[in-house]
Amino acid sequence: MSARLLAYAVLAIVLAFLIGPFLVIVAAGLSAGESLAFPPQGLSLRWVAKVLSIESFRSSFALSMGLAVFGTLAALALGIPVAYALSRYRLPFAESIRTIVSAPIIVPGIIVGLALLRHFVVPLDIDVTLALYAAHTALVLPYAVRVVGASLENLRGDFEEAAVLLGASRLGAFVRVVLPNIRSGVLAAFVLGFVTSFNQVPVSLFLSGPGVRTLPIDMISYLENTYDPSVAALAALLALLSVAIVYLAERFLGFYRHV
Amino acid sequence: MFSSRSEGLALALPGALFAALVFLLPVGLLLAEGFRSESGWTIGAYVDFFESARNRTIFWRTLRLGALVTLAAAIIGYAAAFAIVSLGESARGRLVGLVILPLMISPVARTYAWIVILGRTGIVNRALEAIGLTDEPVRFLFTETAVFIGLLQLFLPLMILSLVSALENLPRDAIPAARVLGASWWQVFARVVLPLTREGLVIGGTLVFTGALTAFITPAILGGSKVLMLETLLYQRVTVANDFASASVIAMILIVMSFSANLLLRRLAAARRGARTGTIKARTLAAGTTR
Repeated sequence: MSARLLAYAVLAIVLAFLIGPFLVIVAAGLSAGESLAFPPQGLSLRWVAKVLSIESFRSSFALSMGLAVFGTLAALALGIPVAYALSRYRLPFAESIRTIVSAPIIVPGIIVGLALLRHFVVPLDIDVTLALYAAHTALVLPYAVRVVGASLENLRGDFEEAAVLLGASRLGAFVRVVLPNIRSGVLAAFVLGFVTSFNQVPVSLFLSGPGVRTLPIDMISYLENTYDPSVAALAALLALLSVAIVYLAERFLGFYRHV
Repeated sequence: MFSSRSEGLALALPGALFAALVFLLPVGLLLAEGFRSESGWTIGAYVDFFESARNRTIFWRTLRLGALVTLAAAIIGYAAAFAIVSLGESARGRLVGLVILPLMISPVARTYAWIVILGRTGIVNRALEAIGLTDEPVRFLFTETAVFIGLLQLFLPLMILSLVSALENLPRDAIPAARVLGASWWQVFARVVLPLTREGLVIGGTLVFTGALTAFITPAILGGSKVLMLETLLYQRVTVANDFASASVIAMILIVMSFSANLLLRRLAAARRGARTGTIKARTLAAGTTR
């Protein structure tokens, strides 16, 4: 019994360290007082309201949402065929292909951003927004391949062979047999990609221009010049958004099973 | 398994080409820049970089912080993983979920929480003043300590996750058997648990170490320009001095470290397929951790 107690004590300390800071920032953001402090001086939503009224956050939120949704969809469109080919075909250069599509997560984001700026945006005179979309798609591609690939590995290959033998086309077999079976893996890849892209800072650091800024970058510059509870309110809103997405995904998809 | 090679290639090609074009090519060109000068190919930029005492300080600080964070994560990780595994099957999933949660939260939010806690008027300073340990606020922000704490919080989950899956595979009666045979708890750990979970430790350690080396936001916000690490130095060299030669050198250092770590992980995963699920999970999440 005392071993159990010790286990609880250890976990309480570790979880306090891992999760406690978020509780602190949520509380500080709900403060009614004038200064950033914990415990908060009274409760109110005034700082949340202030954050929501800031104009520039709306456009940067829209950009970050667009990047997260369309970048991830593009990555899935490119990545699902790659995962399928890697798992169901005897491919020449299979290992090289695997390495190429997973490279974007091995290289630190800040290097990717700088490389794209120096050798893509500037010399070819490409729009920064387009470069951002390309970068976020490349960044999410490895998850699409890896998470969908894991689902495909768990699905027996003879299902679609049977479908083909029974007269379905290869594409028909994929759409009607494979896809329904790996659906939750695909959704999990989408959620992971969405959260990753939405929270991404280093890649976007160098890829911003007049009026083009992702939300986290916009937040960092706001936070640098402000020291009142709105900072905490902002951070809390962002943290809650990620937690809500992951919670829903876990609740309805069993998200963690797939990642 | 379908036999048509060209069909498979046609499926894989768009994704691979895309990654090669918008990713490998620009990064390759950036790395090549570090070897170019007006008179041709040279390693001058590398010599210049390491001749600067300041750069060397930052290089060693990055390695030192990475090592310290890894060590601390290993110690705390074993304690936490033991606790999680000992509480049984049903609690395990939920606890692992809680441990992973911070990985999914915006890094900006995560780092600012530490400012509220460690700042001049933060909880820690107020507590210290309340119990009379200090009269004036202790400086935590923009010190190595703050960066260490931030990095540890960020990467500890990866270590716990790797060790939980390693401990799950530990034969159930290994520990009682060693105890019955008269081993002390320390001997049980050093001679039974450690050798049997070494692989999980190496996997977790590699993820934590490379993660800490290549983190950007934590050192940028909690360390500022006072406690530069390689990533923040890269950013500073580019934005302050337009010094692309140094940036290219730093990029090379980080990529080499990151790739060798990844290679090591692949070897380990290939060597023992039994421990794969935990490995893949930790690796996928490690990659998803926005640093």
